[in-house]
Amino acid sequence: MSDWIMVGLGVAALGLSFAKDRGKTRTAVRVGLKQFVAMLPFFIAVFGVIGLLEVLLAPHQVQSLLGPQQGVLAPIYAALFGGLATGPPAAVFPLGRYLLGQHASIAAVATLLIAWVAVGTVSLPAEVRFFGARFAISRWALTMIVSVALGLLMGWIL
Amino acid sequence: MKQLIKWSRANWLVWVIVIAYLLLAVTRTHVASTAALVALTTFRDLIVTLVVVFLIVGLFQVWVSEDFIVRHLGQDSGLKGLALGAGIGTVIHGPLVGVFPLLKTLLGKGARLGVVIAIVSTWAIKLPMIPLEIRLFGWKFTLLREGLLFASAFIMAPVMELALGKDWALPKAVDAVEPLATAPAATVQCTEPPEAAGDCA
Repeated sequence: MSDWIMVGLGVAALGLSFAKDRGKTRTAVRVGLKQFVAMLPFFIAVFGVIGLLEVLLAPHQVQSLLGPQQGVLAPIYAALFGGLATGPPAAVFPLGRYLLGQHASIAAVATLLIAWVAVGTVSLPAEVRFFGARFAISRWALTMIVSVALGLLMGWIL
Repeated sequence: MKQLIKWSRANWLVWVIVIAYLLLAVTRTHVASTAALVALTTFRDLIVTLVVVFLIVGLFQVWVSEDFIVRHLGQDSGLKGLALGAGIGTVIHGPLVGVFPLLKTLLGKGARLGVVIAIVSTWAIKLPMIPLEIRLFGWKFTLLREGLLFASAFIMAPVMELALGKDWALPKAVDAVEPLATAPAATVQCTEPPEAAGDCA
């Protein structure tokens, strides 16, 4: 669904660019696709990691860790799990709803929704390649901390 | 041969994954095929988004002038720049990996580090998915989460700028033209002592 919004956005941007300047647009497409091809092996490897995590982490193991009885630990576990099991953003909403139904705490689920999308542990090697280790590790750690803090805040408010 | 070694140094994760899958295939064939299926499904779900992201990256490089970046997202852009960055993060869709090339381009064109951090801070807000979130969690949960995340951009940006310091610079060798060869060596240099970061510029 959101794929089509994305495609629409891309097509609209390309069309607008093409109407303004054909030559520039051709250069843009060439530059973009060249970078895509260069990064493709790495992307595929990242998807391979996601596949492995999916089969090696059992769902019921995760659930027992995230209940309200775990207190502050629950969102910390959620951040670790969400940060590791990064996947398509759309996938985490049903998962979070399901966990909430299994009596996971609000703090844990809110943290999971944030960490799943924003932490990006599996893409950390790629991030190091793009921005260097200092940037990547600082951002990773800070996002972890912020996701737990926001989760706790939400659990406290709601 | 020499090229293969160079390529492997930059794409080491590819080999790690190949070996991991081979090991798993030998010991637990069924589990390995499930993992591969999940990997393929994820890939299929995201390939369209990735291609579009890279097309937009290309358009960015051609159209967005350094002047605009410096004026709106540059060192003196202040709160407005951060707000613009946080807004950009909610609109772009896809996995975090997909946006790195775009962010690198922005930084290369002179965008402020904090603005780039603001973009990834609001990454967990997905504008097209807000209806889904409201349906599953209710409007109170959704609005609170989105509001807090947006606000967090204004905390994360200055903290990261402080943590990395004024003289932080991109690892130079990771470039659009030759992304495979020299990247690891350059990043290692930049990580050693914090004071030496300026040398990487």
